[in-house]
Amino acid sequence: MKCKRVILAAFSAGLLLMCGQLYAHHGGAEYDRSKSLSLKGTITDFRFINPHVLFQFETKNEKGEVEKWQGEVSNPLQLTRQGWNRHTFKSGDEVTFIGNPAKSGAKSLWIDRIILPNGQDAGQLHNRY
Amino acid sequence: MTSYLDTQTIVSRSAFAAQMVLAVLLLPLACGARQEKGKATSSNHDLSGVWKMPPEAYGHYDQSFGTTDLPMTPWAQGKFEAAKPSEGPKSVTIAQLNDPFYACYPPGVPRIYLHPFAMQIVQTPKEVIQLFEYDHLVRHIYIDGRSHPGDPDPTWMGNAIGHWKGATLVVDTIGFNDKSWIDRVGHPHSEKLHTIERFRRVNQSTIQMDLTLEDPMAYTKTIEKQFVFVLQPKWGILEHVCIDNAEFLEFNNREVQPAK
Repeated sequence: MKCKRVILAAFSAGLLLMCGQLYAHHGGAEYDRSKSLSLKGTITDFRFINPHVLFQFETKNEKGEVEKWQGEVSNPLQLTRQGWNRHTFKSGDEVTFIGNPAKSGAKSLWIDRIILPNGQDAGQLHNRY
Repeated sequence: MTSYLDTQTIVSRSAFAAQMVLAVLLLPLACGARQEKGKATSSNHDLSGVWKMPPEAYGHYDQSFGTTDLPMTPWAQGKFEAAKPSEGPKSVTIAQLNDPFYACYPPGVPRIYLHPFAMQIVQTPKEVIQLFEYDHLVRHIYIDGRSHPGDPDPTWMGNAIGHWKGATLVVDTIGFNDKSWIDRVGHPHSEKLHTIERFRRVNQSTIQMDLTLEDPMAYTKTIEKQFVFVLQPKWGILEHVCIDNAEFLEFNNREVQPAK
């Protein structure tokens, strides 16, 4: 797993150097693109499914209370081509999710980046050319 | 009186005879090669491979023609205003949209090129077949000299015929139904849609496709756009099943509910 993450991180480092501002393609209307949250959490579920790969995770708010959140990234075929599969993450993994929150106020995130415990990025998460 | 040929003469004449036989046998091949060269070599008629969709299929571009300023007729303008798309300036939430693509209907042409899934091209003497990764759609482009049917029943992907013009495959498609959009921001088309795609392999790893889109009911002018496909030697076509989305819809319901 560590080796795989190093590979993912190396790949993503190259991509991030080439690419400019991260742009999240999706329906768009559900999320507030003007806001960005960084949530450190523990994954409770990872679904490598169509049309978007889904996460559920727990994170602590400012009061120290545990909140249950969900998040989504790109379609699984895109991620497969970057080395992801259904085992890339698992319950218990601790990561930091960075993304746009839902306009509704629901605890839901359009995930732009996933930062691994070693500080490295988990890779390109969205449909970018 | 019997005379006998010496060994050297026998060998020499035998060798000559063998050369003549070989020449006769190889003559058709030589003629064929000359004819093939006259038309075009098989290499520049080779569009085969697995290809990545153009940049317009990816998130930067809203999966559209890059503008909402297409030359629409009043009919099309009305359709466009009624559209509730997922992308572009009129975008709505998934629960609100009326994009047939989200109901897993085929995207039609040219919209099939505006979604970020791979495309494999396979060629036979009579067809160029596009195997789209998106929902495993298959498009048959007949290059056997046939014409379009006189009155084709409208379909989502249309009726496609093609011919080689030098190194360019010219694909002519009619017979579309009017149920799809030409892009993800909601531009419509009618059953009068007529597309011409000119595919040319400009180098080993690049196909350039020049699209001409005509639809006198929807657009006052011909729309033209160029798409570029990049070869992906390490890709195969993966399985994509559009309708396999129940879990995602459940997720989406949660994301639009206010936090309790």
